[in-house]
Amino acid sequence: MEIPAVRNVTESYHIRRSSRRIQDKVTIVLFLAPAFILFLAFLVYPILRSVYFSMFDWNGLGPAVDYVGLDNFKDILTDTVFMRAVGNCLLIVVLSLGIQLPLALALAIMVGRDLPGRAFFRLIFFMPYVLSEVITGIIWMGLFNADPSRGLVNALLVLIPGVKPQGFLSDINQVMGVIFVVLTWKFFGLHMLLYLAGLQNIPREIEEAALIDGANRWQLIQNVTIPLLSSTIRTTILLSVLGSLTQFGLVWTMTGGGPVNASEFMATYMYRFAFKRFLLGYGSAVALVMLLICLTFSVAYMRLARQEDYQVSW
Amino acid sequence: MATVPPRRRSTPRKFWPRFFQYLVLSFITLIIIVPLVILVFSSLKTTGEMFLSPYTIPNPPHWENYSGILSAPSFWIFLRNSIIVMVASTAGVLAVCSLAAFVFARMKFRGKELAFNFLTLGLMFPITVAIMPVYLVIRQLQLTDTFIAVILVQTAFGISQNMLILRGFFLAVPVELQDAASIDGCTSFGFFWRVLLPLVRPALAAVGALTMIVSWNDLLTPLVILDSQNLWTLPLGTMQFQGQYSSDLAVVAAFVALSALPAIIFYLFAERQIVAGLTAGAVKG
Amino acid sequence: MRTLARPLFVLMILATLLAIASCAAPTAPPAPPPQVVQQTVVVPQTVAVPQTVAVPQTVVVPATPAPAKKVEVNWWHISTKDPGLTYWQKLADDYMATHPNVTIKITVLENEAFKTKLTTVMQSGSPPDIFQSWGGGTMVEQAKAGLLKDITANMDDAWKGSFAPGALAVYSYQGKQYGVPWDMGMVGWWYNKDLFAKAGIDKTPTTWTEFLAAVKKLKAAGITPIALGEKDSWTGMHIWSYLATRIGGQAAFEAALNRKGSFADPPFVQAGEKLKELIALDPFQPGYLGATHDEMQATFGNGKAAMELSGQWAPSVESANAADKKGVANLGMFNFPAVEGGAGAVTDVVGGGNGFAIGKNAPPEAIDFAKYLTTASAQSQMASLAMGIPVVKGSEVGLKDPNMVEVQKAFAAAKYFQLYYDQFLPSAVGDAINASVQTIFAGTATPQQAAQAIEDAAKKNMK
Repeated sequence: MEIPAVRNVTESYHIRRSSRRIQDKVTIVLFLAPAFILFLAFLVYPILRSVYFSMFDWNGLGPAVDYVGLDNFKDILTDTVFMRAVGNCLLIVVLSLGIQLPLALALAIMVGRDLPGRAFFRLIFFMPYVLSEVITGIIWMGLFNADPSRGLVNALLVLIPGVKPQGFLSDINQVMGVIFVVLTWKFFGLHMLLYLAGLQNIPREIEEAALIDGANRWQLIQNVTIPLLSSTIRTTILLSVLGSLTQFGLVWTMTGGGPVNASEFMATYMYRFAFKRFLLGYGSAVALVMLLICLTFSVAYMRLARQEDYQVSW
Repeated sequence: MATVPPRRRSTPRKFWPRFFQYLVLSFITLIIIVPLVILVFSSLKTTGEMFLSPYTIPNPPHWENYSGILSAPSFWIFLRNSIIVMVASTAGVLAVCSLAAFVFARMKFRGKELAFNFLTLGLMFPITVAIMPVYLVIRQLQLTDTFIAVILVQTAFGISQNMLILRGFFLAVPVELQDAASIDGCTSFGFFWRVLLPLVRPALAAVGALTMIVSWNDLLTPLVILDSQNLWTLPLGTMQFQGQYSSDLAVVAAFVALSALPAIIFYLFAERQIVAGLTAGAVKG
Repeated sequence: MRTLARPLFVLMILATLLAIASCAAPTAPPAPPPQVVQQTVVVPQTVAVPQTVAVPQTVVVPATPAPAKKVEVNWWHISTKDPGLTYWQKLADDYMATHPNVTIKITVLENEAFKTKLTTVMQSGSPPDIFQSWGGGTMVEQAKAGLLKDITANMDDAWKGSFAPGALAVYSYQGKQYGVPWDMGMVGWWYNKDLFAKAGIDKTPTTWTEFLAAVKKLKAAGITPIALGEKDSWTGMHIWSYLATRIGGQAAFEAALNRKGSFADPPFVQAGEKLKELIALDPFQPGYLGATHDEMQATFGNGKAAMELSGQWAPSVESANAADKKGVANLGMFNFPAVEGGAGAVTDVVGGGNGFAIGKNAPPEAIDFAKYLTTASAQSQMASLAMGIPVVKGSEVGLKDPNMVEVQKAFAAAKYFQLYYDQFLPSAVGDAINASVQTIFAGTATPQQAAQAIEDAAKKNMK
């Protein structure tokens, strides 16, 4: 025999579920709408335009008339300078992942919990991010000046007996190293900030429980902190890689991609062809190649790092 | 909650790790601070002195670099404009990105991965190339020379990074909370507004801080969109000191130092929100 | 439960309202700059800018007849600092006083920012009415795209004839005039007379051999011979292009330009070889490959190097960048030396300057204003303010600086005047030249390879 109450509950449950589904769909559309609209206007349209112009030899003025098909892309992929740029970008990616992110993480952990004076350190460590890339570039250009009477780093170096002043930004072999140092200086604060925010999600109870169970600080970090920070870490990895691949402002200010393309990045290469040589068709093509490289990495990374976040339940 | 027995603190054991920590932190602080100190020193010299002896303490300090800037009404106009644009852009980014991040973190639908990858495109396409078609769009909307245009563009280009960040943080919020909320009859939006957002305050503050600074330092967008000088933002203000063949770098340094001050203040304000949960713990059972 | 979101949304609405309010009243800032009819540029009182020389009353321009309709002229220039900033404003004010129906709206931009903004605005097809231009290839590209106004018909013989022909030609293309110059000078070797005396050099070199000998003498005396800022690769390009001009003369360049010859022809390769001779002597300051143009001027102005190859802006920039604000005490200039056996004359000049281009939508009043800006007396005043080297005949009397007078004389005496290569040629080729010459400095390419790289770029971009 049917129990009316149960049947009603079951029905209303189904009704609630389907209205829930419609409600969810509406929510999804509404919530995504602002982002999508802005994107369509200010990103999709420019990208589509770039796709169009990348198939022309065009100086940016007037209509594009000189159709070249895929020649621009062919030229890009056979240009040794561009290959150099890609190599430099990848170098920075590797160095950032290996040095910059661990550094930021370590510092976040150090100044995130109880350390007297931590607020002061947090402020100082974020300061470089506050300055614009151009000013940062100018200051560091001065610091790394090849003349010991003008460059502080060289001034300190020559104090060591037997060490000669280095060319740094004017030395083809040292310029990438110098750029990496400056990039780290400028951007590690960003990652540190994100880790700090992530650390707030780790309840102290868990840490204290682990410590009571006899874990020392290292084990705590290894087995509790880092796993619980994993989604933040994944975010910073993606941001770091994409940021390295598209890096422009700092490098352009400090070296312009030189000397003789030694510090060429994909974005500086693009900028030079688009806005110094006014070969905007070619420049658009470079931007698209850059986009494809970034997209490939991003999609692959997202697949690999499927979300298996630690859900803390209590 | 179980009571936690007090832990013995033995001072000698804590000393060396602390000392080492401070050593490392101080060393890093030194590296961070030297360029900043040099910026301040440079701002108190003349440009020629800057080139000749960049690392000495300015003697005598040329305070007129600062007083000249502060006494010009243009500086305050630029400052006001920068604040307007920055506040609006930050609010826009937070609103748009938190909504989008919520959907990607918490809801399932077909094409989710595609949509997500689509929204990360902003991290991959340089604005230096995008700015020209963007200007054309702005022109067609007849929004040239307006703040709203700058705000919209800055918001649009802030979407990718900040949505990515927020999604990461939203994912860390336990699913059980949402299930519990939905059983209680809470709509998705209700959960979003009343439960989720307060929980991710540190993340929102972090995104806010980052967006504020990016907007504050943005030169390209205002340069291209704004014509009237009384709408210019601070970065455009540095142009006054840069000539065709040379720049008055010392005054530029002073201008930069002055411009950085409000940014630092905004950051401090946001940072307090980030570490507000420090002593309290993130989620109370 | 406190939420951050609500105040944020409120903030967003507030900010949007503020923004709209600001847009609605664009000309009402809280602390209004001196409210004049036109857009004024507010000048902050900064250091060390001597308050402008008393600018004498300008030419009286006969006022336009009958109340004409209101016209707005948009003028973009890059003189962000005094004396140019104030001087241009004054000329605009004077013109508006005598032409009450005309409003001149000035936008002052820094050099690089100007190029960026101009490019975007050009793309949208509405260039400003009068704007800064360096002539040459970039201007030609703009003209070809129909973005500039052909003012040949608007230039009556008097106006046209008042210009030094070499200067005026920089702003013409295929017989049509698209703008007018207001400053044209040349590149030469600026040198520190005291340092030269110290090294025992009693007369300035007139041949390349003598030049190299002088460099050696300077090195022997422990003085850095040449300041160079090769990060800004155009500075080094000047040396190479002058060598090419001395060796190949006008003929070689024109041949390469018209594609009858090539940039890989012997004169251009030899230019690279001569340059290598110089580089082999190690004459530049340490780290020159990473030094900017500003640094180069500072090095020279602070007395750390004896010479620099630079244009007519050298005296003002090296003194501005020097610690004592005065720069080199005894400054002189000598022409780029002749290369023995070269086809070029030692009087040939490589140089450039500034001018105004006229945008395609410019009203006739804009052209009239450009004419006003280039009268002999306006030019003469400009010269006396040391803003540049005037190009209108008779206005050079305003030049006070003896070095500037020298430059102007050399310019006037030149039978062959060549606009800097990277400005004259299409930008794609110009930038390729800068990059290729840099490889010679860095030693990563031979003179032959560098010349070939330039030729490749020319073949591709100059059809």
